[in-house]
Amino acid sequence: MLILQTLTVQSMHGYGIAQHIGRLSGSVLAVEQGSLYPALERLQKKGWVGSKWADSPTGRRARYYTITAAGRRQLGEEISAFDRVLLAINGVMRRA
Amino acid sequence: MSFFGALRHRLRVLLRPAAYQRELDEEFRFHLALDAMQRQHASQAPDGSVARMEARRRFGNVTSMKEETRHMAGLGFFDVLLQDLGFALRTLRRAPGFTTVAILTLAFGIGANTAIFSAVDAMLLRALPFRDPDQLMKLSIVRPAHGDRPGSDDGVWSYLKFAVVRDAQKDFTSLGISAEDQATITGGSDAERASGEVVNAEYLPTLGIQPILGRGITSEEERNKGAERVVLIGERLWQRRFNADPAVRGKALVIDGKPYTIVGVVPVGFRGLSGRAEWWVPVGARYEEVFEPDEAWDHRFILTARRKPGVTTARAKAAVQVLGARMNQAYPDPRYNGGPPEGAMARELDATRVDPVVRRSLLVLLGAVGLVLLIACANVANLFLVRAASRSREIAVRLAVGAGRKRLVRQLLTESLLLSLLGGVASVAFAWAGVRLLSSLNPASALRSQGIEGLGAVTFSSIHLDLTAFGFAAALALVTGILFGLVPAIAATRPSLTSALKEGTAPPARALGGIRWPGSRSVLAAVEIALALVLLAGSGLMLRSLANLLNVEPGFDPDRMLSLRLNLPGQGSRDSMPGFYDQVIERLSALPGVTGVAIGSCPPLSGGCNGTVVDLRDRPPAKEGTEPAVGVHWITPTWPAVMRVPLEKGRVFTGSDRKGTRKAVLVSHTAAQKLWPGEDPIGRPIGVGQGGFWKDTAYVAGVIGDVRYGTLDSLPGADVYLPYAQSPGSRMMVFVRAAGDPLMLAGPVRAALRGLAPDLPVYDMRTMSSRVADAAARARQGAVLLALFAGVALLLATMGIYSVISFAVTQRTREIGIRVALGATRGEVLRLVVGQGTALAVVGGILGLGAAFLATRVLQSLLFGIEPLDPVTFGVVVALLGVAAVLASWIPARRAAGVDPVVALREG
Repeated sequence: MLILQTLTVQSMHGYGIAQHIGRLSGSVLAVEQGSLYPALERLQKKGWVGSKWADSPTGRRARYYTITAAGRRQLGEEISAFDRVLLAINGVMRRA
Repeated sequence: MSFFGALRHRLRVLLRPAAYQRELDEEFRFHLALDAMQRQHASQAPDGSVARMEARRRFGNVTSMKEETRHMAGLGFFDVLLQDLGFALRTLRRAPGFTTVAILTLAFGIGANTAIFSAVDAMLLRALPFRDPDQLMKLSIVRPAHGDRPGSDDGVWSYLKFAVVRDAQKDFTSLGISAEDQATITGGSDAERASGEVVNAEYLPTLGIQPILGRGITSEEERNKGAERVVLIGERLWQRRFNADPAVRGKALVIDGKPYTIVGVVPVGFRGLSGRAEWWVPVGARYEEVFEPDEAWDHRFILTARRKPGVTTARAKAAVQVLGARMNQAYPDPRYNGGPPEGAMARELDATRVDPVVRRSLLVLLGAVGLVLLIACANVANLFLVRAASRSREIAVRLAVGAGRKRLVRQLLTESLLLSLLGGVASVAFAWAGVRLLSSLNPASALRSQGIEGLGAVTFSSIHLDLTAFGFAAALALVTGILFGLVPAIAATRPSLTSALKEGTAPPARALGGIRWPGSRSVLAAVEIALALVLLAGSGLMLRSLANLLNVEPGFDPDRMLSLRLNLPGQGSRDSMPGFYDQVIERLSALPGVTGVAIGSCPPLSGGCNGTVVDLRDRPPAKEGTEPAVGVHWITPTWPAVMRVPLEKGRVFTGSDRKGTRKAVLVSHTAAQKLWPGEDPIGRPIGVGQGGFWKDTAYVAGVIGDVRYGTLDSLPGADVYLPYAQSPGSRMMVFVRAAGDPLMLAGPVRAALRGLAPDLPVYDMRTMSSRVADAAARARQGAVLLALFAGVALLLATMGIYSVISFAVTQRTREIGIRVALGATRGEVLRLVVGQGTALAVVGGILGLGAAFLATRVLQSLLFGIEPLDPVTFGVVVALLGVAAVLASWIPARRAAGVDPVVALREG
């Protein structure tokens, strides 16, 4: 979900995604950056993310990942599901 | 879009895994480099290595990430497979003895199965070599048994009876008739004898054969007697005699002295229904007489018909039955007055392809060879279990460090599958040898001399290895791999971890966890013994049956005798023939090394001799249709002496039994007993229904011994011999008795005959002993193959017992040491171990006996002079297995007896 959300901004290469997530979440969600790639592979297999090789600003070729239409739909569903859970948790916490 | 995107992604990964791997590497490198750059930038440190290390730390384990990504991409399966294969190869290479034995065992099992399967495929399964063979039916005349004459449901047709069916039927698109014939072909190159078929116009279209050159036979040519004679030739004849000349049409082929115009060439591979034909001529050209009304009982044609589309087999059968009644109405058999009427029946051509005896033999062999494969599987499974036991520590360690059980089973299975596939590859050599052996078997003459019928077009020579056979072998390899691999794999991965890890200090039998003694391996060994016993019993019966066959007295002495056929052109006057054959005898007798020469009409043990009825002229005439039937033969005076057929009474023929003198016959021992039971046959008047001996009464001159003319396993019939000089024929057989090797005479005999008549082809030249061997060929081949399979089975079963006992001894070394320390003697230890082997054999033996009692029943119709439950055979087989079991356990037992208690206890 985080990856998909990140990609809604613009297409990015793997390092960019890792940096983005790390920056936005502080170090709370900082896992090993390498574990990003199996996740990207899974998203590609599901068809939520596409990829193509392009030149990066440093001049080296890099693989850029793009969110697909199906990916956006999926993200929408995940966010609303997540919101529901969040709402529920909030509700419970407030009462307590 | 996204769906296709995902699909494209997956395809790319699967189809170009190397490119995918490269990209992954590059992407990771890019990530690391970029991160390192950023770190360095931020820290301002002069040395990049710190930043690189930091980047790596943040990234995590590069290799495992790559692996995980690949796994996610679906490449994991291949990785694991390659890994397993590599591992399996390494383990197999580390145990070369085990690997060799296992592969050879499997190769033999699979190869033998493939070879026998090829035979079954060619003989029983493969479609007949005609167009849409499932529409083809064979029509036969049905003759109920009546009086002395046995019934038959597979009678051939006369042209006129065929014409009745042809003109009245509505269910067939075409009906073809064919009669196999032999002829001398001259003109162009050398004279030769070649088989051919005399056919009607619709014969080739019925079978769906198109001439590759020229045309077929027209219906005018089929019936026309006087017109130009035409012939179609086979591709081989075309190449042999005409060098495959494309302008062969219009050229002449001389058949039995008459010129035929070649109008067409049939495709390669087509040899007619008879499977031997090289030329095809219309009925009218060769059998001018068959259209005459009184030839309606001249039966010689096989009738094949092609059903119209939409006509079911059942409907065709019913229709033919009705047509049969019509045929009987048109031409009632005059000899069946008052007897049951003749009829006709149709069966599918495919059902007549091989004789039931051949079918049964093949299926028995297939069953036997299947058993051998089962035993081979059991044996390899046993080897695997033994190995798995010795690897139990390795496996336990791997389980302990966290290998999944599924993963381990999968890896062990990869090992067994690899083994079976290697076995499958090696089996091709065995299969090839086996198929070569099988396809060289059984020349048509051997089949006929055993009274075996069936379609000539389906022959052993059509057995070959093809894709079907290889597919069969591959499937077998796969199935066996799983069969012998799965059980050990599951058993081996079920150890209780702790005990296996404890360096075998616990009683080893327990330590083996899943492989409990006497567990699966003993069961496998007992099953092997049982299966081997079934095979041994079967082959024992076949061997004894063969021995019985070979002990049959054929009634003549085949030793050192050459036989050959001659066929005088039919045009010459019959009266000149005895003179010619007198010359033959004279010339050949003069050759050095020849001790006797005789002429006869039909060789013994070949079947297909003439038969007729006799009339006892000093008795009231028998009712028509119930006259006694006899075999009839034409011989020269020297025949009984040269063949060494004993004279029992009276005299043999002499030179004075010639044309013009009183007609004389000899009768066989059985004929004398049957025709004049308890009386003296000498001088009795008799009429014989052939050779002009019906009108003039003949008198019995002597009685000679019985000769078997049919098969070895059928009793000799009643035979009557006519003097050749009083009833000459054109086609005769020459028998030459030699002082030494009869084959040494082949050249001189040919030369002498060429000197006598240059244009006369000498054919079918063979020693009499090879003819006798043919007569026992089927029994011999069946027995030899079964014996081979049984021998292999016995060997494998012995190996099975050996491996079980030997393994048990190794595992019980400590226990045996204790026993010896407590005072057990060598003899007691020996008895203990051998007793175990014997116990296995007894259990397996009892199982096997039960199975064999059931299984040998299917052999009944293949046996001669022996019962399927023959106690002697079973006794010998059981004894043999017992000895094998004791021997197999004797060697490990001696090792056990030699156990030094001190060593055993200390090491334990």
